[in-house]
Amino acid sequence: MQEQAEYGAGPHRDIARAAPANLLARPRTRIAPHLLLAMPAILLLAMFFIGPLLVNFQESLRLDKSYPSLGHYAKFFGDTYYLMVLGHTVLFGVGVTALCLVLGYPFAYALADAQGRWKVFLLFIVVAPLLTNVVVRSYGWMIVLGGTGLVNAVLGRLGLEPLELMYTWTAVTIAMTHVLLPFAVLSIASVLEGRDRALEEAALTLGAGPSRVFREVVFPLSLEGVVTAAILVFTLSVGSFVTVLLLGKTSTMTVAVLIYQQLMVVSNWGFGAAMGIILLALVLASLALHARLRARRA
Amino acid sequence: MRALPLWIRFYAIAMTVFILTPLAVVVIAAFNSAEYNVFPPPGFSTRWLQKAVTDPEFIGPLWNSVVLGATTTLGTAIVGVPAALLLARHSFRFKQELEAFLLSPLTLPHIVLATGMLFYVNMIGLGSNFIGLLAGHMVITLPYMLRTVYSVYAGINRDIEEASAVLGASPIRTFFQVTLPMIRPGILAGGIFAFLISFDEVPIALLLTNVTNVTLPVSILSYLIYSYDPTVAAISTVQILIVAVLLFVLDRAFGLNNLVFTSR
Repeated sequence: MQEQAEYGAGPHRDIARAAPANLLARPRTRIAPHLLLAMPAILLLAMFFIGPLLVNFQESLRLDKSYPSLGHYAKFFGDTYYLMVLGHTVLFGVGVTALCLVLGYPFAYALADAQGRWKVFLLFIVVAPLLTNVVVRSYGWMIVLGGTGLVNAVLGRLGLEPLELMYTWTAVTIAMTHVLLPFAVLSIASVLEGRDRALEEAALTLGAGPSRVFREVVFPLSLEGVVTAAILVFTLSVGSFVTVLLLGKTSTMTVAVLIYQQLMVVSNWGFGAAMGIILLALVLASLALHARLRARRA
Repeated sequence: MRALPLWIRFYAIAMTVFILTPLAVVVIAAFNSAEYNVFPPPGFSTRWLQKAVTDPEFIGPLWNSVVLGATTTLGTAIVGVPAALLLARHSFRFKQELEAFLLSPLTLPHIVLATGMLFYVNMIGLGSNFIGLLAGHMVITLPYMLRTVYSVYAGINRDIEEASAVLGASPIRTFFQVTLPMIRPGILAGGIFAFLISFDEVPIALLLTNVTNVTLPVSILSYLIYSYDPTVAAISTVQILIVAVLLFVLDRAFGLNNLVFTSR
């Protein structure tokens, strides 16, 4: 009765009675105001990253009128052609990754240790191709490797037979390595740049030769950057289709180009969606491998 | 400081040739007088360059790409900077999970996101318009903005902001007059990455654009699939030129070294 007198009657009473108690108690959901800072980013990714991926997954399970169906996946894994393309994609990714690491490491070393003018020059060289379109860079390789291109012009001058380079795995691998090399160099260089150079001085003082210092001090210190570079290059090489599409042909097929064809040429969207999920699984598998390697080292 | 070993210098020069050759041949091919790409070019001509800069097939898309890149940069900064401040300054439950989530677009092949976006924009009734394209580009550029702003902000002395608060400035005033000027290099580097990634992006733009908002890389790609004349070399040369000038100006203004190795 007393409460009723204080807060009045009717449905408002319950609300009024509940309010002060709630203010005194610890709020059940504690969203601190600073957490709201991440809200726009979370919303963006929820709406335009998670949303599309879920819809993509859903569409991959739709076969004609039946849903859910694993038909698209059965088609992919039941056909030796698609399995061969998947195998080629993995091999291609591993090959490009290996080339980028081997070619990029010494360059990254030079970039990290260079001084003054040299450093700016090397940095400019690494960044310059990143700033030109991947389509333009692939096109450049079409001119270099094409039938009437630069390589064959040089071979002709030397009196040698022209080479059929275009539309081969060789052409695709060279161009892709060129496209992804800057990513490898920058990943490795940023780790080499930040390394503690006193360790090398110590090793040298203690009598180790330069090659031993590199093998036992510098290289182990840079491993983190090498692994990051490998994951980055592998992911980008299996996922990119522009270079493979322009420099390759039906004999140089990868999963990413197959997806492009299903969407743009054949209009078999569901199958394209299913192959997207398979490609995603491939990338996630490489990331899981990365995490395991890191855990073992730590 | 020791100098670099000689063989590394020679190696660096060999790699420079490898890296620059495909770009150089594009520029040379742009001044080719023949009807198709042939090396060495039989003569010098600027007709392909003239054709490219007057061809609406390329000029419209070039403008579209610039607008899209600029809008993406702005949008990513607005969304990404507050999130980076949160991650750099506060600790809370699930912080690592949040960081991993916000960086996760890095690991996704763009063609997969593009396919998903294509279904998604049709499902929510957006269709192939600018908003979907912008959202897709913001998703893929967000991690770059986060990383660069985060690394700059994490290296900044917190006391300066606290001094500002103690002296009576409101949080908003502290942000605009103290924090923002200090994290500007990070925003700038992230913005450059965002612009360039959006400017070069193919898969999402390929699937989500229509005739009116097609971007430059997509229009070059479609042209290349059907023909192989030096017009593409010419428009590519224009693009290389724009980027080279941009890069030169950035180096003069901020120093390239500081932009790339933001951790220092």
